[in-house]
Amino acid sequence: MAIAQPPATPRFAGSIRLAARQFPRHRAAMVGLVCLVLLCLAAAFAPLIAPFDPVQIKLSAKLRPPSLEHLLGTDHFGRDVFSRLLYGGRTSLSVGLLVVAFAFVLGVPLGLASGYFGGRTDNLLMRLVDAFLTFPPLLLAVALVGLLGPDIQNVMLALGVVQAPVLARMVRGSTLAVREEVYVTAARALGAGPGRIVVSHLLRNVVSPIVVQLTVVFAAAVVAEASLSFLGFGTQPPQPSWGRDMSEARRFLGDAPWMFLGPTGAIMLCVLSINFLGDGLRDALDPRAWRTRRTVAAEER
Amino acid sequence: MPLLAVRNLRTRFATDRGTVRAVDGVSFDLAEGEVLGLVGESGSGKSVTALSIMRLVPEPPGRVTADSMSFDGTDLLRLTEAQAREVRGASMAMVFQDPMRSLNPVLSIGRQLVEVLQRHQKLGRQAARRRAIELLEMVGIPLADKRLAAYPHQFSGGMRQRVMIAIALSCNPRLLIADEATTALDVTIQAQIVDLVKRLTRERGTSVIWISHDLGVVANLCDRVNVMYAGRIVESAPIRDLFQRPSHGYTLGLLGSTPRIDGPALRRLSPIDGLPPNLIDPLPLCPFLPRCRVSVAACRERAPDRRDLGHEHWATCFAELGPRAP
Amino acid sequence: MWHYLGRRLIQVPLVLLVVSLMTFLITRATPGDPVQIMLGMQTSQEAADAMRAEFNLDRPLPEQYFLWVAKVATGDLGRSIRLNDTVTSLLAERFPVSLQLALAAMLFALAVSIPLGVLAALRRNTWIDYLCTGYTVLGFAVPNFGLALILIYIFSIKLDWLPITGIGSMEAAAGGWWSYIAPFIVPAIALGTLQTAMLTRLLRSSMIDILSQDYIRTARAKGLLPATVVIVHALKNAMIPFVTMATVQFGYMIGIQVTIEYIFAVPGMGSAILNAVVTRDFPVIQGFTLVIAAFFLFANIMADLLYAVLDPRIRY
Repeated sequence: MAIAQPPATPRFAGSIRLAARQFPRHRAAMVGLVCLVLLCLAAAFAPLIAPFDPVQIKLSAKLRPPSLEHLLGTDHFGRDVFSRLLYGGRTSLSVGLLVVAFAFVLGVPLGLASGYFGGRTDNLLMRLVDAFLTFPPLLLAVALVGLLGPDIQNVMLALGVVQAPVLARMVRGSTLAVREEVYVTAARALGAGPGRIVVSHLLRNVVSPIVVQLTVVFAAAVVAEASLSFLGFGTQPPQPSWGRDMSEARRFLGDAPWMFLGPTGAIMLCVLSINFLGDGLRDALDPRAWRTRRTVAAEER
Repeated sequence: MPLLAVRNLRTRFATDRGTVRAVDGVSFDLAEGEVLGLVGESGSGKSVTALSIMRLVPEPPGRVTADSMSFDGTDLLRLTEAQAREVRGASMAMVFQDPMRSLNPVLSIGRQLVEVLQRHQKLGRQAARRRAIELLEMVGIPLADKRLAAYPHQFSGGMRQRVMIAIALSCNPRLLIADEATTALDVTIQAQIVDLVKRLTRERGTSVIWISHDLGVVANLCDRVNVMYAGRIVESAPIRDLFQRPSHGYTLGLLGSTPRIDGPALRRLSPIDGLPPNLIDPLPLCPFLPRCRVSVAACRERAPDRRDLGHEHWATCFAELGPRAP
Repeated sequence: MWHYLGRRLIQVPLVLLVVSLMTFLITRATPGDPVQIMLGMQTSQEAADAMRAEFNLDRPLPEQYFLWVAKVATGDLGRSIRLNDTVTSLLAERFPVSLQLALAAMLFALAVSIPLGVLAALRRNTWIDYLCTGYTVLGFAVPNFGLALILIYIFSIKLDWLPITGIGSMEAAAGGWWSYIAPFIVPAIALGTLQTAMLTRLLRSSMIDILSQDYIRTARAKGLLPATVVIVHALKNAMIPFVTMATVQFGYMIGIQVTIEYIFAVPGMGSAILNAVVTRDFPVIQGFTLVIAAFFLFANIMADLLYAVLDPRIRY
């Protein structure tokens, strides 16, 4: 009797290559990527770019409107808003990246385990996730940071804990969907151990939703860090931080609007870039959204 | 005077890759009480012809032109959108292919019937309701008064198509267009729906345009058939004549892919080979040429003209095809 | 349906139990002693011990938790450590304020997203569609506190049209309907913009999808007026996902007000929790989070019920 060949699993490397070819066609996504890279470079090389010391107080130059010397004006201590933005970006972006990493390390294995093993493990983990999701994320972060102590490490920890359940639930969903598919059964029938099944079959199929969700987490983390700092729970003065600086700017709203417009604009630019990047990745990684000549023709018919 | 007279109807759609000539110079008459079949494969322009008559082609991207398209003495293309709305659903109604998707899933059957009665016949709520019950009984839906509050998903496909027919006939239209109205249904249900339409339209003298790719259904129902290919009518004949003397290569192909209704049922279906025609840059020759099995030398030189075969039968084809073997 | 509702309602206390346990563990596992913060460093050991005893803080953790749960079951959320008041009466002060702000923000979101989403879907690739896209893209990117500052700058400082503060204040309540409503406008817009963006995008895409459905063509073939086709036939379908999402988002709204309350000095739930966190006022943290979680859960159940009401195909 002939042994039926298991249906071929989609080639992972091949699909990545296809996605890589799709991505640059997405104009908004490319703009997002370029902006994000520029923001990251600006933050990384802040000491080289920044025209002024971000924390040096110079009361003689306080509350100056934007000029050639101070591109975005100065704050109530005479500190250059642009320089503070550059340094603040270091906090925001590094918090964003670390939260992404933390949420990934925490959420993905949980979701994979929950989806793959199912049954009681799944039930327990998902009830926990449900409980976490019942809290508004920002409030949970405020509570965690407030109780742990206002400190940037705690902010990262709290935001990671807040974001991980969303990721876990999503990974679980994809895992469940994939688990039922034929080739998992086929691979098991051919004697592959559970470890190999998880790694080689499941991961490659849940990778794209994870990647897209991570951009969402990144954007959420940047905003959340700013919110926490704004409330006084994040970065402590005089360290520059977008959220913290906006909180300071509140007191000079009428006299120095550049003080809050600068950080607001920086956050928006950052989140916009990430969102565009995420949209592009979503389209590039989703084969159903690939618009080749053939699919366009088929749609028209 | 015919009820509907279409002269040189052209409907085009602007797309990224050029203008698609979905309907390319269609002319025909439809007499009062006549049942006209419009057959052809998908993409041949049958449905777009119907939508053009109904003034339902979205413009843009579509563009509908004609030398004239007169319905009951008025030129349909000269009507404003508001005037066209008064005609649609009232003196001209349409039944669509997929009864699963043609009824609004969140509105009750009664609501979907009553709204058209209220709109065109200005009936009050109670009167419209009574009429709706009559209509549902007319199309053979049992316990009609109880079914008014039901939603489409609670009906079977055949029942939904009956509801669609009730809606279409609710305002006693002079013209009913059925676009593949039985295609999505089981064969037994198909026959029931065809009989229902036959009976109801004959009783009222309603003219019908029956669109189908299935010549079998058309044979059972229609007086006359127009065969469409690549946005044009390639052959037009009374129904018996078409079956006896198919005079276009494409019609021959269609008949080959239709089980004979009056002959032995054992003949194998033979679908027509080849791809559907290019509607963006059509050949200056007969569009069916690349797929034709009976082409002659003249086919490769120029486009065929309309050739009259007597008995109100004509075709645009060079091939001299004799009567079909019994 | 009632069976389904019953099953969902039974789950509520269970989820709340998990939520409360989590809150309890978080408050107890983190550093900071409410009594010490309350009384300061110089207090006597006796006073501190008396206070700990009063709030059961001297007992083992499991006992503390069970005592609290037992009291909650009778409707008693305990007393605030910091403020000389019961948690229930604090909630009675704070919850209506937050609810009103949430309602105002939701009202704004609906008032903008419904016309914008529908018009953008009807007039694709026109200026109104681009406006819609621009609004949603920016709405997703702007943090609500940043938007709040921008709006304050424009409407309160430069134009001097709207007050910055006053929600829940005596003067606002005493001065007629406008002085009551006016302070809500700017915070409601700032708070509701993200939801507006979400809802507009959802409505636009579902309207585009629905307008291409066969039953819309049927409706047009019946000669119905365009308004009937759009409002009765299309919008009624589009409302199914829309209402569900709006309800779920509404459930979130009380909990996401923190920054807005902070800026506009709103005496709501968020600022209460903020203060309670800083002062380690455990009963307040536990009681308030419980109410926020319950509100969210009920909003979710409500969304499911509305879904069934709007979509005749759904039967639980």
